[in-house]
Amino acid sequence: MEQGKIDSKQAILLMMSTVLPTAILTVPAVTVKFAQQDAWLSLLVALSVALIIALLIVNLGLRFPGKTLFVYPEEILGKIVGKIICGLYIGYFLQLGSAVVREFSLFLGATIMPNTPIVVFTILIIAVAAYAVRNGLEVLSRFNQLFIPLSGLLVIMFLLSSKEMNLTRVLPIFDTGLVPVLKGAAYPLNWLGLIVTMGVMLPYLNKPRRAYRVAVIATLLNGLFLLASIMGALLLFGPHLTANWLYPTYDAVRVICLDHVVERFESIILVMWLLGGFVKLGVFYYGAVLGSAQWFVLEDYRPLVIPVGVILGALSFLLYGENVADLDHFFTDAGIPSSVLIFEIGIPLALLSVDLLRGKGRRKG
Amino acid sequence: MANFTKLSKLKPKSLGQNQEQDKHPAEQPEKVGLSGVPWKDQILGPDLETNIRQIKAILNNCSDVIYREFVLAQNERIRLALVYMDSMVDKAQISEQIMKTLSLEVPLVVIGEEITQAQALEFIKQRGLCIHQVKESDRFRDLIHAILSGDTVLLVDGHPTAIINETRGYESRSISESETEPTVRGPREAFVESLGVNISLIRRKIKSPDLKIETLRLGEVSGTGVALVYIEGIVNESLVSEVKSRMARIKVDAILESGYIEELIEDSPWSPFPTVNHTEKPDRVAAMMLEGRVAILVDGTPFVLSVPTLFVESLQASEDYYERFWFASAIRIVRFLAMITSLVLPGLYISLVSFNHGLLPTTLLLSIAAQRETVPYPVFIEVLAMEITFEFLREAGIRLPRAIGQAVSIVGALVVGQAAVQAGMVGAATVIVVALTGIASFVFAYSTSISFRLLRFALILLSGVLGLVGLISGVAVIGIHLCTLRSFGVPYLSPLVPPTTVDLKDTFIRGPWWAMLSRPRLVVKEEQQKQATELKPTPPETRS
Repeated sequence: MEQGKIDSKQAILLMMSTVLPTAILTVPAVTVKFAQQDAWLSLLVALSVALIIALLIVNLGLRFPGKTLFVYPEEILGKIVGKIICGLYIGYFLQLGSAVVREFSLFLGATIMPNTPIVVFTILIIAVAAYAVRNGLEVLSRFNQLFIPLSGLLVIMFLLSSKEMNLTRVLPIFDTGLVPVLKGAAYPLNWLGLIVTMGVMLPYLNKPRRAYRVAVIATLLNGLFLLASIMGALLLFGPHLTANWLYPTYDAVRVICLDHVVERFESIILVMWLLGGFVKLGVFYYGAVLGSAQWFVLEDYRPLVIPVGVILGALSFLLYGENVADLDHFFTDAGIPSSVLIFEIGIPLALLSVDLLRGKGRRKG
Repeated sequence: MANFTKLSKLKPKSLGQNQEQDKHPAEQPEKVGLSGVPWKDQILGPDLETNIRQIKAILNNCSDVIYREFVLAQNERIRLALVYMDSMVDKAQISEQIMKTLSLEVPLVVIGEEITQAQALEFIKQRGLCIHQVKESDRFRDLIHAILSGDTVLLVDGHPTAIINETRGYESRSISESETEPTVRGPREAFVESLGVNISLIRRKIKSPDLKIETLRLGEVSGTGVALVYIEGIVNESLVSEVKSRMARIKVDAILESGYIEELIEDSPWSPFPTVNHTEKPDRVAAMMLEGRVAILVDGTPFVLSVPTLFVESLQASEDYYERFWFASAIRIVRFLAMITSLVLPGLYISLVSFNHGLLPTTLLLSIAAQRETVPYPVFIEVLAMEITFEFLREAGIRLPRAIGQAVSIVGALVVGQAAVQAGMVGAATVIVVALTGIASFVFAYSTSISFRLLRFALILLSGVLGLVGLISGVAVIGIHLCTLRSFGVPYLSPLVPPTTVDLKDTFIRGPWWAMLSRPRLVVKEEQQKQATELKPTPPETRS
């Protein structure tokens, strides 16, 4: 079905683009809302849980070489239950994809072109991602590799904005207590836990033995970038301002101004973010398309690209309400428990335990 | 004939053979021959008259064919005939080395020895002819081909075999400086239209027995000579066989330029990007082959194809390798900037001015707005009109006779540039943007710059409709498309994506020669070191 193979580096970068493009903008505000100046502690908690998820999903995947997350549930739990779980995961990827579509459409509509109907952006974003998905995982990861050097600019921007930073803004440490820190961890975990997409990529790695390394490195890098964005926002604006803004990272970049020569850096973040968004959507889109094709046991996934794209577009309008606030509600209220507990930890853990008991999969080693 | 039949099945009335058959039904029996075999498969008979009649039948209405009958060594019993094309041969050679020798000089040397008719062919070949290259053949197909290529066919009465003498001597352009790829430093010679001369130009660069030249003939009507050239031991064998198989499936009536072949062997025929490169400089072709590529030479054109082609080749010029590496690397980066500029600048200008003012620094925005006060059209129309005007100018500059070309540039610069701005029809910033884009598109390889020219208009449209978002989406689609491309199996964007770190030394920068140890990995497949490791020069230890 998928002919291409991707190497370890490509997989790591793909995983980074899967998590970071939206997370880096939204995670600081939400995390800080719960954990105030201890948001970075929340992130560390989330990171450690995400590492466990990464190990879990890779272990599961390696037991069934050449099979994706959509296929091995059937082997473990039998045809009917397996198909249901596969269907659930397709739904999961559709939800993730449509959320990306909605988030990008709303952001573009709100910040850049307020007079353009949202649906125009929705169609545009899905069309670009569809072109990549149609060409397969290999092209998607190469495209990602092509543009990811641009994110080196992010590091430069972080350094440039550092002259406004003030370390006292994260003090006092651990003042908020344990519960807010844990609550704050849920949101970044939602993003970091997206490492479950490794379950889709794993069969297409050219060296599957490196999968553990890929998953762990990707998760650590994701954690590092999120930590930097949270710290950047906190050190620049302090917990109260950060919590009230939608996209603190975007605002952090706006403060950069060197002698009125180097300014308006936010346009660069916009470019990077949009390009990253295409990849991010591409990954979920690809997951949904590949999953559906494997669910229906098709020879080729390409006929499904356009139908799934239409579904993504429709869902992006149906699920997330009218505006950015509604979208945020979806994530903070409904999204986290369902996706983290069910898809990122629950099902993989259940699958692994059943397999350990019944021993269908290949033993490690 | 066999191939003609195949072709005529595809396109019944397109080819000359059928029409000729219609025109001269009377000639038909002779052409097909008594046995009913098509002439291409016929072989010679022993009778001189019959053979000549047969050739005359095949080459009827070709007034430039000359049939010259004479005898060997004043001996009336051994009759000979020469057949050649008047316009394609070296006449002095035929008169001196063939006719004078065989009829006058042979009797002077061979005194008292009787040459019988049975010995004649062997005698002529071994002792008679003073021609550097002779071949024997008994097939009309070979004879006709030889005559049409400028060789001279010598028929001997009583022998079913003819001698083909190499006597080609037609006018061709002499080797001159390259006009499409001029250089400041480096060899100036360029290929010419003659395949033989072009092969010699390559052979002169690479004096190795490993330089292999395989010729074939393409085009059912034109019979164009095509040569595959590669260096054995460096090239990947599977690449050679892939090129051969792609060439083998070419069945067309004529190949008039290497561009025909290019379009018939591409990996992605619908892509705007060229996945087969061409050049007219022998040094560049030699360098390509030393990197493991196959060159395709076509008779009748100075443009030589090389495959596989990578995207980074459009950043490279042969001069980069002759200048010192600091300068060459800097120029590469300039070319890359020019490439980006030529693709996105007009689109970026449109989206920043008409949609996303917020992203421009305030002072710049104010100055642009002040210029555009009198301009009647939206910036999208303005840029589009100026870009199209520029395309007019560019095309006029190429097509016009050279003497008038200068007038066009003056009119273009004055009328379009100066007057349009003064009349307030176009903003000065727009002229700057369009001119900058135009200049930038000349900085890197021409073949890629054409693709970028086309795509630029697509990006102008997208930016005009959706601003920066449209522009970025367009660039993303181009990026995805580039990632899908392959040239003879090699990813088009390599060594950038997928990255091969060692090969990055010859992309955006040009590493110093002493550091470029290996050949491009994806092209030659296995790792190949091409030079010694300790080549970096150092000053002597002792100082005096």
